[in-house]
Parts: sequence; structure tokens; C-alpha cells
Amino acid sequence: MNFKVIGTEAPRPDGREKVTGAAVFVADLRMPGMLHARVLRSGQAHARLRRVDVSRAQALDGVKAVVTGARFQRPFGICITDQFPLARDKVRFAGEPVAAVIAVSEQVADEALKLIEVEYDPLPVVLDPREAIRPGAPLLHEDLGSYARVAGINPCPGTNIFHHFKIRRGELEETFHRADHVVDREYEFPSVHHVQLEPHGAIARLSPGGDLTVWSSSQAPFVVRHTVSRLLGLPASKVRVVVPYVGGGFGGKSDVTIEPLAACLATAVPGRAVRLVLAREEMFDGTVIGRGLYARYRTAVTREGRIIGEEILLTLNGGGYGDYAVNIVGGAAASATGPYEIPNLKIDAYGLYTNTPPTGACRGYGHPEVHWACERQREIIAREMGIDPVEFRLRNILGPGKSNALGQIMEEDHGRVDLCIRKVVEDLAGPRYFAGRGHGPGGRPAVRRGKGIAAFMKAPVMPTNAQSGAIIRLNEDGGATVSVGAVEMGQGTYTALGQIAAEALRLPVEMVRVVPFVDTEVSPYEWQTVASHTTWAVGNAILMAAADVLDQLKVAAGAAFGVSPEELEAGEGKIFLREAPVVSLPYSRLALGCTRSDGSAVNRPVIGRGTFVPSGLTYPDPETGQGNPAADWTFGCQGAEVEVDLRTGEITVLKLVTAIDAGRIINPLLARGQVLGAAAQALGSTLFEKLIYSEAGIMRNRSLTDYKIPGPEDMPLQTRVIFVETPEKTGPYGARGLGEHGTVGVPPAIGNALANALGADFYALPITAADVIRALKGKGGGLRAQTF
Amino acid sequence: MKHQIRVKVNAETHEAQVSSELTLLEFLRDTLGLTGTKMGCGNGECGACTVLLSGAPVRSCLILAVEADGQEILTVEGLARGDRLHPLQEAFLEKGAVQCGFCTPGMLLAAKALVDRQPDPDLKDVKEALGGHLCRCTGYESIFEAILAHPR
Repeated sequence: MNFKVIGTEAPRPDGREKVTGAAVFVADLRMPGMLHARVLRSGQAHARLRRVDVSRAQALDGVKAVVTGARFQRPFGICITDQFPLARDKVRFAGEPVAAVIAVSEQVADEALKLIEVEYDPLPVVLDPREAIRPGAPLLHEDLGSYARVAGINPCPGTNIFHHFKIRRGELEETFHRADHVVDREYEFPSVHHVQLEPHGAIARLSPGGDLTVWSSSQAPFVVRHTVSRLLGLPASKVRVVVPYVGGGFGGKSDVTIEPLAACLATAVPGRAVRLVLAREEMFDGTVIGRGLYARYRTAVTREGRIIGEEILLTLNGGGYGDYAVNIVGGAAASATGPYEIPNLKIDAYGLYTNTPPTGACRGYGHPEVHWACERQREIIAREMGIDPVEFRLRNILGPGKSNALGQIMEEDHGRVDLCIRKVVEDLAGPRYFAGRGHGPGGRPAVRRGKGIAAFMKAPVMPTNAQSGAIIRLNEDGGATVSVGAVEMGQGTYTALGQIAAEALRLPVEMVRVVPFVDTEVSPYEWQTVASHTTWAVGNAILMAAADVLDQLKVAAGAAFGVSPEELEAGEGKIFLREAPVVSLPYSRLALGCTRSDGSAVNRPVIGRGTFVPSGLTYPDPETGQGNPAADWTFGCQGAEVEVDLRTGEITVLKLVTAIDAGRIINPLLARGQVLGAAAQALGSTLFEKLIYSEAGIMRNRSLTDYKIPGPEDMPLQTRVIFVETPEKTGPYGARGLGEHGTVGVPPAIGNALANALGADFYALPITAADVIRALKGKGGGLRAQTF
Repeated sequence: MKHQIRVKVNAETHEAQVSSELTLLEFLRDTLGLTGTKMGCGNGECGACTVLLSGAPVRSCLILAVEADGQEILTVEGLARGDRLHPLQEAFLEKGAVQCGFCTPGMLLAAKALVDRQPDPDLKDVKEALGGHLCRCTGYESIFEAILAHPR
């Protein structure tokens, strides 16, 4: 197929606005009479609220309202309704909102916060999900059994387990009996923060007519609408959510975060807009955090290097409220094997309430966590069995005709992980580096180098009926305006979707505008902008809307020419007769109703409609996890070359290579940007990032100086992105998701490269210089490091 | 306490009464409505609020408005000449150095300060000039490329 727009580096429509400072983010909005809110957050990680006295704060000049949990009695939650916008009788993490002040300025609101008196009765704190799962652990939610929840959630009332997800395949016990080799290891991926550059912000206003508008930095405007309408008892049509440009999401602005609170605050000062923009410190402990997984892998292998069985235990830190993390539990379990076929499996994944901020979606959604474990495990197995690690992976690799952990059979068009592995190995300079230990570059005895790879797969984790819509209005100049419900948060979605629309409408890309914001009042429904599914799902909706437009145009032109629509074609902004292309009408003549020579109208205005829902997805079986919950997979492989200074322990990533089969690439420049950005984020998780708490559960590093993310100086010296383009049968022009996938294989690729360089296995992230030195001195132990 | 200040912002002179604790960032965003300068942390840790103060890059969240009295300030809104983008702005677009756009204004101004002082920087110079500027979207490489490739 010859494409005109697909596969080109079409410029970002938001580009000029973003380089000139004209692009508007929530914090840039100013409403008439706008008030400012600040939040008093719990200084206790687990306590009963004995008394909240706001009388002195209320009396301060400039304060318009002070609200506490007593005012809002309805709980919310998308999967389990387990929380309130402001704590009521109990706080479950340090940072949880206890009260909020609405005032004429942020400064006045901050002053008022100091006047609020709170008395707590402290309760025992549990921060580690491995502790929280034990009988007798401090219980966070005594009423778990009575919480409303959606289908498929399996909580264990009387414990901290808010979801237990199981996968059962084949016969495990017998498999381990006949295994020639068993490898049993534990791994840790700690909690991290997304660190979007733009702080979370929301402005909410309840109109005198009873309509509520929320302007928000959300990835999920329709989820916000749903949650807020239920929370406040308003019809969905009376809740309007508007999302301008979002300054980075990475999952941490998905579902809902501060919007339920902002909406509740607006009800305390009807008619006035209330602005809540978080301080950087509050982003860390007042929104959602990411990851936080312990994994135990026990693998049965034959002499020939076949994995015949695996037992996996996943313990996810859900934080104080599990609602956000429910689906990470299942998503992590579904991909816990990595891209391999393993006939006998027992996977138990638990989501645990603990006294940390809640864990939410974070770029990769369970996949970087389990791949850290499984791809380290694969490397260790290969080494212990004396098999080349590339060869070992390829012997067990998933591919057409083979089935994954959920029992889904892979097909040709699902992509080529084997090819991705070969491309990465080739790029990292041949098989030589996998043989034996790492080496020192000439003349520098205190330096060691090593290389490692990690294969990966990721499916979007989404509801079986995740919906997307698109509306295309044809304009009088023959160009098109495309409305979608997807949010632009940097990924370039309006660019890619505009390219899909232009290709489908046979228009130049400059003639297509994608409306650069979401307004639930006018934008078509979209589940949310997550799961790397937008190009795929919204792209499909656009294809349908464009087909609808072309059908309408052909009917209209057919009536004008007196021929059947089947005799007509569309191309270059015109409808023409297939047999005689000179007989044509431009879209511009047809868009708003073409007229005959006597003035009579031929057609109605052209508005195309497209809606998409994935077909055939089902809930996994509650006992075995078998089913069809994943719509597609993106496979890939990442490789790293590292250099370690043996005196200081300093790790330098010399090279980072990614090969990814994301189907047809819509825009290579943007696609490469997604992969590299994701890889950089994962580099942070690998080498620096970890949220640290005191014993009492107070977050210790909630600033950008104490919580270091990669800076310009930390980037790998060399990067490479290789696209393997196996077209996806169900994707628009063969596209698959790729936004998150660059995060998935980086930690294990670097971990494997370090093992190769140093002869030491690291099991917990991040891997710091201190860890390297401890390992070299043989003082690792536990999950930190072991030499081999 | 209020102070009278006179500053030139993007070649336009402004006189204002400002309170002594008002930061330059707040002055630009809230008093002048120049919201292109972003607040990412308020502590000088992220670089998003960088502007040029008499040609030198500063974190406007760490500078008081009164300190800027009598000086010239360049913000992202002042980089283009009418419709004509600054070569750095063009290069950022061409190399895919813009994703969410929140760090972009600060990055552009740090880059401008660099190329004003050193028209032909190498990668090491670029990394040094961007030290303390955080971007969570791009992985920086495209930003390096844009600054190295920008037409002079």
C-alpha cells in the first residue's frame, strides 16, 4: 500500500504553541473571581482522626471556606469504592487530605492551614506489602467486604488484600518433579514517582444553574466526569470536564487524582471557580505513586533448556487505597512470564493495602515490574545451565501458534519478538559479549564493561469494552475538523491521529485539524488516554468516521452526477468518476450541501461518525486466569552496554538499544521520541529512583533534589531505536501501541549487563554505586546483590 | 512592603508596585500574564521557570521581582520575531525536542544563553548548559540535537 501521510514525519500541530509559550496548561487559566485552595495533609501514616478543629482558620481574613471530611459522606472509586475526597474517621497514608481551605489567594490559604488543629490516635503502620499480607498485620480497611466493586475484583475481607488474581495452567507439582534444574529467586521493584514536569492542577466551578465544570490536567476526562457525577449526585450531562494541554502524564494523571476533591471544594463556594494546583512536594505524597512490586520466581527447566513450569508470587504495594492499583495486579500477572511460552504455570498476584500513598498507573502498568524479575531470572537460568542467554530465550520464545499465560494463541500479525532480539544482539556487536565475564577496556584496569539484553511484551490493560469515538466535520474549504476524546500530554497523539485522518480522507495533513483539547460536553467519548492504546483505538474510530465521510460524499456526488456512488472514488480532496477522473467535484463543494444549477440542494452537511470498541474481549476466568482480556501485544527487546568504575562503583550506560515491533509506524520522529523518553524514565528507575519512608511512614524524599530523576548528564552516550514493522491486523494502517514499551526492558537489560560486567547479581532496584561497591566486597546479601 | 520597579520584559517597559516577597516568576505569570514561563517546583530544582535576566539564565522562582529592578528580562514569549521563530525554536520543532512542552520554555532560554555566548557549542557544552533542567518526556537526546544543529 502506498501511503501519502502515514510514515511521514508530519510536524506537531501543537509545536509552535509550545515553543512560543502560547500553549495553555491548567495552571495558566484565570477565571473571573477565582479562589485558591490549599490542602492540609495528614502527618500520620495510619491513625484515627479524633478531632479536626477549623474554627481559627475559618476566622482568618480572606478565607472563604474551610472544609473537612464531615461535609462529604459519599465514597468514590472506579473499581472499589474505598476512599473519600477528604479523610473521614481515619487516615491511611501521610499526605492524605484532611482538610482544605478556600481563600482569596494561595498565601492566605497557606496561612489558614497553619491554624487548623488536628488530633490523631496513631495506629500501627505497615509499609511493606510482604508484611501487610501476613496474618496479624495492621488492618487498613476494616470494611473491605462491604465496599462496592466492579466485576472481576477479588478482595479478601478481614485482610489487607484488595485483589487476588490467579493464573493456573497445566500441572505444576509434577513439572517440578521432572525438572532437571530449578531456579528460585526474589526481586524488588520499589515504589517510584512519575515526576511529570507539570504539577497536577484542577479548577472547578459550580454554576448557579447547578452545572459543575472541572478544568483539569487529567488523562481521563470521562473517568473524572463519571466519578464526580456519582460523588456529587449530579447527572453526567451536568458535569463538564475540560482538559487543555497536559504537561506529562505517564499514568499519574489517569483515572482520578485531585479532581474529586476539587469538585467537592467547588460546592462549598457556589458560583466561584476554585483553583487547586499542587506544590511539587504534594505531587509526591498527595497523588499516586508507581510500581512497588516484590516478585518470587521459581522456574523448572529441562536439560535441553526448555522452561517447563514456573511458579510466580507477586506482591504489589497498593498504598492506602487500592482502587487505583486493582488492574495493575492482573496486568502484571498476565505478562509475568515475559514473551515466553510456559506450559505449566501457577501465578498468584496480590494487591495489598499499605500505609503509603496509593499506587496508580505508571508508564508500563505492571510490565516493567515483572520484566525486571523475569528477564533477570532468564539470564540467571541460562548462566547456571551453561546455555547462551540469547539461545535460551529463543528456545522458549512466544510466537505464532504458541500460547501466552492467559491461553491466548499468538498469530503472525502479533509481531516478532525473535526478530527484535536478533536485531538488538546484532547491534550490540555480535554474540561475543555474552561469553563469560565482562572485560576492561584497554589500559584501564579499574574499569569493567558488560552487555546485556532483555526481551519484553506488553498488552494494553483495559476494560473489555473500552470505548473510543471520533467525529469528523467537513468544512466549506474541503478541510476537516476531527474531534476525539483523547488527551495530548506530550505523546503527539493529535499529530498521529491527524495523519490517520488525513490518509483516510485522502487529504493533505495540513487540511486536517484535530481539536487540541478535550471537553466532555462536545468531544466524543473516550475511555481514557492510557495503556498505549490511543493510536490503535481512537485511530480505528477515525477510520470509521472517515469512511462515513467518504460514503456521504460519494452519495452526494453521485446524486450531482446522476451516477451510482459505487462508480465514484475519492482522492486529493475530490470525488471523481472512476472511469473518467476529470469528472469530479472537490470536497469543498460538497461539504456543506452542494446545489444544482437551479439552486436546489443535493445533500446535507457532511459529518462523519466513528465509534470503536475492541471485539471479543472477555473477563479472565476467576480460578485459572484463562481468557481473552488482552487485545494486542507489542513485543520488543532492549540491550545495554555499561561501564563500571571498580573504585567508585559508578555506573555509566554507554549504549542503550531498543528494537520494537509496534506494527506500522505512523510518525517515525514521534515514535522514536516515545521510545527514547520511556527508556530514559526507566533508566531513572534502574539507577536512581526510589521513594523512601521513615519507619512511621513519612516520605523522606519528596523533592527533586532528594528524589533524583535523570538529568541531561545521565543520558546514555549512544542510543538506538530499531522499528520492526509487522502490521497489526486490528490496528489503523497496521499500527500498535508504543508509548509505554520503552520502559519495560531497560532495568533488566542493565541488570544483566552489570552481571556480565561484574559477576554479581542485583535483585533490587535502583542499583547504585554503593550497591556495586558492596557487591564487589562480597557484602551484598538479601535482595541487594550476590556475586557468582 | 511595596516597592516600585521598572523592568524591560521582551523589549517592553513595565513599571509596577510589587511586594517584597513576590518572586520574578509570580511577577511574570500573575502580574504581567506571561504564562509561557512555567512553575515546575518553586525551588529551583527543575529549570522550567528559567528566563534570561540581563542575558544570563536565572531560575525566576528563586529571584525576587525587586531584584530584577532596572534590568532586561527575556521570556519565551520574546524569542520569536513576529511570525519568525528563533532558529532554536525551529530546531526544537524539527528535531522532535518538544513533547509535553512544559520544560520547553526553560530549555529554550538556557539554550539561547549558551549560543549567545558560544555560537558553536559541542555536546559537552550543551549538557553543561542544560544542567539542572529536567525533562521527563524526551530523554534529552532530541534537545541536544536541536541545540547542536540549530542554524546560526
